[in-house]
Amino acid sequence: MKHRVFFLPVTMAAFSLAGATLPTAMGQAPKQHIDVGKLPQQATVVEDIIVPVPSEIFGVLDKLGSPNWHDVVRTETPAVPGARAETALLLGDVIAEGFISVEAQDPEQVKKIGRTVLDLSAAMGVRKAVVARCSAIIEFADKKDWPRVRRELDGTLMDVKQAMTELHDEELAQLVSLGGWLRGTEALTQVVDSNYTKDSAGLLHQPALLDYFQHRLAHMSSRLRNDAVVATVEKRLPEISPLIGEADTDISKQSVEQIRDIVHDLVSAIAPNPN
Amino acid sequence: MKALPKFAIAFLCLTLLLPLPSHATVDDALSFALDAANPYVKEGFTVREDYWGGDLPVKQQKAIVHQLFKGNEYWFWMGTDVENARISVHIYDSDGNLAEVESWQRQHMAAARVVPKTTGSYYLIVEIEKSDRERTHWSLAYGFR
Repeated sequence: MKHRVFFLPVTMAAFSLAGATLPTAMGQAPKQHIDVGKLPQQATVVEDIIVPVPSEIFGVLDKLGSPNWHDVVRTETPAVPGARAETALLLGDVIAEGFISVEAQDPEQVKKIGRTVLDLSAAMGVRKAVVARCSAIIEFADKKDWPRVRRELDGTLMDVKQAMTELHDEELAQLVSLGGWLRGTEALTQVVDSNYTKDSAGLLHQPALLDYFQHRLAHMSSRLRNDAVVATVEKRLPEISPLIGEADTDISKQSVEQIRDIVHDLVSAIAPNPN
Repeated sequence: MKALPKFAIAFLCLTLLLPLPSHATVDDALSFALDAANPYVKEGFTVREDYWGGDLPVKQQKAIVHQLFKGNEYWFWMGTDVENARISVHIYDSDGNLAEVESWQRQHMAAARVVPKTTGSYYLIVEIEKSDRERTHWSLAYGFR
């Protein structure tokens, strides 16, 4: 396993509690309650958070039953866009598509995605960072070793973002995450809507992630924000916030459908049907 | 061959007698976090290949926000390379209630397990409780199943 450390200096500095809250004596039991309202403002506004890997959510979906993933899989291969911002969004989208193809247990589709990831990574100048991962995706798809394909897809996402960060393209790395989140959310809404339960709809309750992406877009360089697709995403993301509910509120079927429609529009902008 | 000046020899001896400077890094701390994770991998936990870390003075805590999903079970493992340090990691829900179902502290390591009752944001609070260093490197990894 690769040993990789991501420093999150902004997060760490912003979230420093400096002993102002949560005093605990050495070795004592933890406090039963903390006042999150007294955390530094950045901690609640979400300056930075741990963005979960897609496997975390697809793992839960596995436990909820066996949706017809073949209905969710996208078979068309999107063309590589010219603009780097759009390529970054599409790269995240395609990696997320890989997870959906794994759920559908479709080796040919997974292999096709492995090759598309390689093409998009090449367009972003990070091909070298993902060659081994893409080979592994194809190899394990051939063997139908789905847990291993998932791990390699998680790793691909991480390696792509790390390579972009090393090239000082952090903002593009964030767009990769956003593209993946949008396609994953679209798939999730389709699955939840097809067999609605309060528990499955609850998986859409991701307000901190949504805040995080909105915050990142708002602080992106104008070069990227002026991209037509990025601008569309930035404009429409806030429409999702009121639909994903408070912690104690269920997300209705109607809200799931509204979220599905919004993210479908955005995913269609990111990965237009080539036909 | 020219002999070294006396002051240079004295300096060299003094240098050799001094304790080696610490080259400890978050990577060293990470190796302990992964050691802590190892038994749980055998129980079916997938360890994410990303890690978080830094250095902290004693008694200063950090909070990290994390989106967790109901239906998963998570272990968070924290490590430090400092021999006699005591570290801790605890998990709180978005209302500030302690959410973990168990936690432990050992030499070089600490861990906490959570089975989220709801999908949403959680706060991971990490702390160096005791250390003889001014700042102590720490690293955090997590796994899920």
